[in-house]
Amino acid sequence: MADSTLSQIAATAPTESVHNVARNQFLKALRRSPKGLAGLLLIGMILIGAAAAPALAPYDPAQQVLGWRFLPPVWATGGGWDHILGGDNLGRDIFSRIVVGARTSLAVAIIVVALAATIGSLLGAVAGYAGGIVDNLIMRLVDFLLAFPFLLLALMIMAILGPGFWTMVLALSIALWVNYARVVRGEALRIEQMEFVEAARSIGVPGWRIVLGHVLPNVIPSVLVLATLEVALVIIAEAALSFLGLGVQPPTPSWGKMISEGRDFLYDAPWMVLGPGLVILMTSVGINLFGDFLRDFVDPRAER
Amino acid sequence: MLPLIIKRIAYALVIIAGIAFVVSAMTKLVPGDPVDVMAAGNPGMTEADKARLRTQLGLDRPMLDQYVSYLGNALRGDLGTSLRQRVPAAQLILERLPATAELTLWSMVLALSVATPIGIVTALRRDSPIDTAGTVVAVVGVSTPSFLLGVLLILLFSVQLGWLPASGYKGSVIAAIPKAIVDGRFDLLWQKVRYFLLPSVSLAFGLMAVNARLIRSAMIETIRQDYVQFARAKGVPPRTVVLKHAFRNAIIPVITMVGLQLGNLLSGAIVAETVFAWPGIGRLSVQAITTRDYPLVQATVLITAVLFVGMNLIIDLLYQIIDPRMRHG
Repeated sequence: MADSTLSQIAATAPTESVHNVARNQFLKALRRSPKGLAGLLLIGMILIGAAAAPALAPYDPAQQVLGWRFLPPVWATGGGWDHILGGDNLGRDIFSRIVVGARTSLAVAIIVVALAATIGSLLGAVAGYAGGIVDNLIMRLVDFLLAFPFLLLALMIMAILGPGFWTMVLALSIALWVNYARVVRGEALRIEQMEFVEAARSIGVPGWRIVLGHVLPNVIPSVLVLATLEVALVIIAEAALSFLGLGVQPPTPSWGKMISEGRDFLYDAPWMVLGPGLVILMTSVGINLFGDFLRDFVDPRAER
Repeated sequence: MLPLIIKRIAYALVIIAGIAFVVSAMTKLVPGDPVDVMAAGNPGMTEADKARLRTQLGLDRPMLDQYVSYLGNALRGDLGTSLRQRVPAAQLILERLPATAELTLWSMVLALSVATPIGIVTALRRDSPIDTAGTVVAVVGVSTPSFLLGVLLILLFSVQLGWLPASGYKGSVIAAIPKAIVDGRFDLLWQKVRYFLLPSVSLAFGLMAVNARLIRSAMIETIRQDYVQFARAKGVPPRTVVLKHAFRNAIIPVITMVGLQLGNLLSGAIVAETVFAWPGIGRLSVQAITTRDYPLVQATVLITAVLFVGMNLIIDLLYQIIDPRMRHG
C-alpha cells in the first residue's frame, strides 16, 4: 500500500488544493466503476429508507390487525398495493417492519464498526509503534480472541450478558476489533520506518503524538476499506443473532427476527421471509460492491 | 523443523489453557446471581439443587481455584452436567459431534471442489464474460448469510418443489459409503445424502465464492512466474502447464486459508444447524444459551474452540510439510 493515492496525499501537507485533488480523483474513479456506482446506489436506497422510516412506513410496525394476517403481497393473488410486501402471522405490515427494521440493522452496524475500528486501530497503532512488551501483550490478546470462531465468541459474550441490543453491540465489538488491530499494526510497522516519522522523532516529538499525528492518519485508508466491508459482516451477524432470538427483543423489528418468524410459515406465507431476505441481500451486496471498489481505489496494486 | 513443530504445539496448548480459563470464569461474569439466572431458565430447581450447583460451578471459590478444578475435571472428561437435560455435557457433545463434523467436512469439500474449476477458468479467461460472471457470483456469495440461503433453499426445494427434506438428519453419509459400494445399496446412501444437501450447500456457498476468488488471484500470480512461462515456451502442453506447474503452487496460499475458514464454517454451522434442525453442537450451544444452561454453554464453547485451535494447528503443520520453502526457512 506504499504508493496508494490517499496515503501519499495524507502524508503531504494537507492543504485545500490537495483535498480537492483527492476528491476529484475519487469521483473520477467512482464514475468509471460500475461496481462502485451500483454499490453506492444500493447503500443510498437503504440509508434513505432508514432515515425517512417514519415518513416512509405506511403503518405502525407494531400495529396488529386481524384482517392483515397472512395478507399476500402485491405480486400474489389477493394482494394489493396497500400492503406491498403483505402481512405477517400477527397481522403486521411487512413493508413497514422492514423499513423500520433497517434502523436497527444500521444502528448496530454503525455503532459496532465505529467502536471496533477506533479501539482496534488505536491498540494496533500503539502495538506497532511501541513494539516490545506492549506489542507482545496486545498481539497475544489478538491471537487469543482469534482462536474463537467469530460468532461463537459473540455468542459466548451474549450468553454471559443476556440478549438485547447493547449486549449484542458489545459482543460484536469485542469479536471484531482484532481485525483492525492486525491491519493497523502492520501498517504502523511500515510507517514507523519512513523518513518523516524518523524526522519527527529526531526533533523530539513524543511517542503518543507520533502515533496520533503521523501513524493513525496514514492508516485511515486501509481502516476505511476494512470498516466498509465489515459493516456488511455486522449486518449479517446482527441478523443471525436476532434470527437465533438473541439479538434485539420484540417489539423492535429486526430483519433476522422477521426471517426466523417467517420460517414457521414457509408453506402458507413464503413472503414473510422473502421481503426481509431480499433486503438483507441488497444491503450486503451493496456494501460489498462499494467496499471492493474502495479497496481497488485505495490500493491499486492489489490483485483485482 | 522439529523444534518449530514443538513450538507450534506448545503455543496451541497455551491458547487452549487460556480458553479454558475464560470458559471457567464465564459464570462469575454473569451479572447478578448466575444460579438464580439459571433457575429462571430451568424451572423445577430446589434450594438444595441451587446450593449444589453453586459448589459445582465453583462460584463460592476464588477464580484461580475454580479454574484449577475446572481444568482438572475437563482433563478427566468431566465437563459438567446439563441443567436442562440432567446428563453429562460431555455425553451430549459426543453424541452431536459427528453430525457437525460431517456437515462441515462436506461443506468444505463442496466449496473447494466447485471453487477450484471456477478459480482456474476465471484466472485463465481474465476479464472475459466468464470472469465477470465469476465476480458477480463471488460478491453474492460473500453477501449471503448461510441462514438466509438455508431458508431460501428450503422454500424452493422443499416447499415449492418437494424434492428434498426441509430439516432433520438421518445418519452419517461416510458410514453409509462402504455399504453402498459393497452391497450396491446406493438407495440407502441417497436417503442420507438427501438430508445433507441443503445444509451443506447453504454453508458452502459463501466459502465457495471466497475460495474461487482466492484460487483465481493465486493462479494469475503464478502464471506470470518465469518457470511457468518457461514451461510454456519449451512446449509443455497447456493443460500440464496449468494443472501441474501453476495450480500446484497456486493452491498453497489457499490451504492456509482453509484453517481460518473452518472458523467461518463453525460460526455458520451454529446458525445453519438451527435452520435445518441439525442435531449438532451448534444447535446444542444455541439451545444451551437460550435456556441459560451454563454448564452446557461452557462445555460447547470449550469444545468448539479447542477443535478450531486443533484443526488450525494440524493445517499449520501440514503447511510446513507441503511447502518445501517452509522446511528450510
